[in-house]
Amino acid sequence: MIVAKRFTFSRLLIWIFLITGAVASLFPFFWMLIGTTLNPNDVVSGVVLPGKEFPLNWSKAVKNYNLPTYFLNSLKIALLTVLLGVLVNSLAAFGFEKYRSKAREKVFSVFMLSLMMPQIALVIPLFKLMSSMKLLNTHAAIILPALMSPFIIFFMRQNFQMFPSEIMEAARIDGAGEMYIFFRIVFPSMKASFVSAGIYMFLSQWNSYLWPLMTILSEEKKTLPIAISSMMRAYTIEYGAVMIIVCISIMPVIVLYLAMQKEFVAGLLGSVKG
Amino acid sequence: MNKRGASSRYLNRVGWFMVAPAIILYAVFNLYPILSSLGMVTRKWQGMRVTYIGLGNFARMLNDKIFWQSLGHNFLFMGIQIPIMIMLALILAVILNQGIKHGRGALRTIFFLPCVTSLVAYSVLFRMLFQTNGLLNNVLMNLNIIQNPIGWLNDPNWAKATIMIALTWRWTGYNMVFFIVGMQNINNEIYEAAEVDGANRRQQFFRITMPLLRPVILFSVVTSISGTMQLLDEPNVLTWEGGPANATMTAALYIYRQAFVLNSDFGYATALSYVVVIITAAFAFIQMRLLGRRDQ
Repeated sequence: MIVAKRFTFSRLLIWIFLITGAVASLFPFFWMLIGTTLNPNDVVSGVVLPGKEFPLNWSKAVKNYNLPTYFLNSLKIALLTVLLGVLVNSLAAFGFEKYRSKAREKVFSVFMLSLMMPQIALVIPLFKLMSSMKLLNTHAAIILPALMSPFIIFFMRQNFQMFPSEIMEAARIDGAGEMYIFFRIVFPSMKASFVSAGIYMFLSQWNSYLWPLMTILSEEKKTLPIAISSMMRAYTIEYGAVMIIVCISIMPVIVLYLAMQKEFVAGLLGSVKG
Repeated sequence: MNKRGASSRYLNRVGWFMVAPAIILYAVFNLYPILSSLGMVTRKWQGMRVTYIGLGNFARMLNDKIFWQSLGHNFLFMGIQIPIMIMLALILAVILNQGIKHGRGALRTIFFLPCVTSLVAYSVLFRMLFQTNGLLNNVLMNLNIIQNPIGWLNDPNWAKATIMIALTWRWTGYNMVFFIVGMQNINNEIYEAAEVDGANRRQQFFRITMPLLRPVILFSVVTSISGTMQLLDEPNVLTWEGGPANATMTAALYIYRQAFVLNSDFGYATALSYVVVIITAAFAFIQMRLLGRRDQ
C-alpha cells in the first residue's frame, strides 16, 4: 500500500517536472506567434493574448524592411551551400573511406584537427582574404568558406563505413566506373545519410550570424539573422515587425524538423545513431 | 576486372580526385588564412597604417583587464551552466527512457525543438521576454514570487543569469537526446541480470547506467565547453554587446569588437584569438587523455 502511494506521488512529481519543462520549451515559440499580432508596446510589456496588428506588422516587415529579400537571400545561400557542400564533403568522405591510402589518412587527420579551431580565430584572417579577393559584401563570401566542412566529412565517412565494399567490387566487375558507383549505387542506397548531412549544413548556414555580420554591408544582401540584429539596433525598434521576421526565420526550420525528425536528429547529433 | 583495370594505381588516383575539391577549399579558406594570421599577429593597425610591433600585441594583452574579465565570464558560464544543463538533461533522459509510458515521442520532440532555432532569433525573443517591464517579470510579480521587477538585462549579475538561462533553454534537449541514445545502446541483458541479482532501480542507475554512459556524458561536456568557449551571439544580441557594462562580455565577442567595431586593430584581435585557440587546444588535450584512459 505504502509502495503504491509513493509510486503515485513520485509519478506526480515526474509529470509536474515534465510539464514545466515542456511549457518552458514551447512558450517562447507560442509567444513569438502572439507577438506577430501585437503592437510594439504590447510586445515589450508581454501581452499574451493575440492582438489585431498582424496586417500592419506584416506590411511594415515587407515594405519598410524588405522581408522577402532577406528571406530569399537566406534561402539562396543556404540551398547553394547544401547542394555544393554535400557534394564536396560526401565525395571527399567516400574517397577517404573507400580508397584508403596513407597519404590521404594524413590529410584526413589535418582536417580533423581543424574541427577544434575556434571560429573567432579563423574569421579575422578570412576577412582579410575576402577583402583582397574583392569578395566582401557578396553572397559568395558567405557560401565559399562554408562548403568544405570537416564535421560533415567525418560524419559521412562514419556512414560510408557501413557500405559494403563487396558491392563496389561486384559493380566494377560488371563494368561500372567509380563515379557511377558513387552516384548511382552509393547515393541512392544511403539517401538518409545524405539528407542528414544536408539538414545539418542547411541549419548552420541558415542560422549563421557572425560571418555574415562581418561581410555583408548593404541592405539588399542581408540575410534574416543579420536583418533581425540590425532591426534591434534601430533607434525605435519595430517590435511587431521584428516578431514577424523572427517568425519567418524560425518557422521553416521547425516545419523541416517536424517533417523529417529522424534525419534531423541524426544530422545534429553527428556520429551517434538516433 | 574491367578494361581500365581497377588497379590500385588507378583507384588511388580516383581517391585523390574525390578529395581534391575539399582539399582545395580547405587550403584556400582555412589553411591559408590561419597561416597568414601568423604575419598579422606582430602588427598594429591604425586606420590604413600597418606597423610591425613584434610581440607588442602580447604585451598589451597582459594589461587588458576587460579581455581577462571576458575570458573569466566564459569560465563562469561553463562552471555554472554546464553542470546544471547536464543534470537536467540526464534527469529528462532517464524519465523519457524508462520512467513514463505515454508521450515519450512527443516530449522528446518538444524538448529538442529549442536547439534548431537560430541563435539570433531566440536571443531576440528572450531579450523581449526578459525586459524589466516584460512578460517574465509580470508573471513573477503576479504570482507574488517577487515584489519588485528583476533587472534581467540591466543588472550585471542577473544579466549573467539570463545568458545561462537562455543557454540552458536552448541546449538541454540536445544533450538529453544524446543521453537517450546512449542509454538505448546499453544492452538490456545487463539490466535483466541485475534484476535477477536483486538490484533496485536506483542501484541499476548508479551502478550500470552511469558508468556505461560516461563516455557520452564526457562527449557532451566537451562539446558544451567548446561551445561556451566560443560564445558570442547571445551576449551580443540578448544582453546587448556584452552589456550591461561588459558584465556578459565573452572572449570571442570582445575579439570581434576589437577587430570590427571599436579599433579595427586586426593584429591585436588576432593575438587575442590565439589565447582562445590555446585554451581550446588545452581542453582538447585533456579530453583525449580522459577518453584514452577509458580505453585502457
